[in-house]
Amino acid sequence: MIELNTLTYLFMAVAGVVSLIATYLAIVENDLVKAVIFSALQSTVYTIIYYLLMAPDIALVYIPVSVGLYPAVILFLIKKTERTEGDLEGSGGDSG
Amino acid sequence: MNELNVFLFNTLLFSLFFNAGISLYGIFARPSLIKKIIALTIFSDTANVLAIVVGYRTWPSPEQSPIPPVITTTNPTTEDIARFASQAVDPLPQALVLTAIVIGLAVTLFLVFLTLQVYRLYGTTDVRRVAKLRG
Amino acid sequence: MRIKKLLVLSSLIILVLTFSLAFTKGALGYYPLPLPGVRTLAYWYLITTLNPRYPSFTAMSPEAVTAIVWDYRGLDTLFETAVFFLAIVGALALARGISLKKALDNANNKDNGKGLSLICKTATRLLTPLIIAVSASIALHGHLTPGGGFQGGSAAAVAPLLILVIFSVYFLLSKGVAEKPMLVLRTAGLIGIYLTALAAVLIGLVTGLNAYVFQNQPKLDAPVGIPAQVSNALISGTLFFFNLSEYLAVASGFTLVFMLLSIPEEIVRSFISGEAHE
Repeated sequence: MIELNTLTYLFMAVAGVVSLIATYLAIVENDLVKAVIFSALQSTVYTIIYYLLMAPDIALVYIPVSVGLYPAVILFLIKKTERTEGDLEGSGGDSG
Repeated sequence: MNELNVFLFNTLLFSLFFNAGISLYGIFARPSLIKKIIALTIFSDTANVLAIVVGYRTWPSPEQSPIPPVITTTNPTTEDIARFASQAVDPLPQALVLTAIVIGLAVTLFLVFLTLQVYRLYGTTDVRRVAKLRG
Repeated sequence: MRIKKLLVLSSLIILVLTFSLAFTKGALGYYPLPLPGVRTLAYWYLITTLNPRYPSFTAMSPEAVTAIVWDYRGLDTLFETAVFFLAIVGALALARGISLKKALDNANNKDNGKGLSLICKTATRLLTPLIIAVSASIALHGHLTPGGGFQGGSAAAVAPLLILVIFSVYFLLSKGVAEKPMLVLRTAGLIGIYLTALAAVLIGLVTGLNAYVFQNQPKLDAPVGIPAQVSNALISGTLFFFNLSEYLAVASGFTLVFMLLSIPEEIVRSFISGEAHE
């Protein structure tokens, strides 16, 4: 059977690869709301990594800050400015 | 078996390095100010995880994992403390990362307010259009 | 576009696995990771964090991370709190002169027609006391279990954010949670931190002994200290009071920032273009 230490390291490796996928999708996405949701997914995977590395203090800070407060602040910002990251042509700036 | 464990740990390490690289590309190359802010938060979070990875240690035995740096009794004996020091991970990077998360949050909040002000005054958050306006 | 994304993702994953395999086999030098054992400094912190046999080095707290943050390296935390305060001052300066009072007088500040649906409102009414209770428990147990002031404060800031989004900002204002009371609470938390840091110095001034700023337990040449136990319950000297003040300061600071962010854009534009005055 798989030993306990190999299982823990396997979880760490899978979490690392999932965070890589989430980061790439967040940076390449043009719709900013979807980019924020991918960033929140990547933060959740980072919390799992923090827990597996035996750092419970950091995991307790990281969940409210990165999954609750950062996306809320950036969603406020998106609502007040532009939603999509566009190309150069087009009408310049729309009102609030 | 030992090589398999080292291979899986190195996968985590290299995926963190690639995360840092992709988010650096995001800061330089994407034209929207909000995307730059998102990429900056991903970059600082990745740096924090790298600091915690440095503080990890190998397993004392294949059934006993390392423990977080918290003593579980309020009146420890000398044997308790010696066993705790041989099993616990490093507490110093965790304290420094706590400070770093707070400072990163403060800087991001300030950047968000500055971006709002840029939008109110210039009407756009695209850096290419702002550069064309010439102040 | 989907094919392109899939191709790039799979090539990134294969690259990561290849690098890791090369590193394991020793192609970039032989580094056995993770390392066995901890560093000398970390060994020292782990040995002395709760050890009555070293009475002049210990911090009397079973939680090593909180002892490092508020006792061994307390000055770092002081300046981190100052940086956070400067960010809030910057946000306040950008919103200077803009207030919601005029819109509040015009608007109907009962919650009919504003906010989200009834299901969201009922769920928020049930969840908000739970969130505040859990966050207070995390903050006040910071010297015994993982937790502390900043963890509890940021968890407690989620509750006003929920009320802000699901009810409206006018509801929050009508309950008395405005900018000035939150500033008062934040300043009270910061004064608490300031006084706790100076507590040992004040005791030393009164009794004529030597004492340092941010001192927790009695040291060799400074025999003044805050008691570590109060009738058989461990409070670890100044750590408990630091956690309490930091909880108050952080929760009110975040609430202040959210209320500044939620001012509607029409009101801000009318202030910036000079039509309305406070």
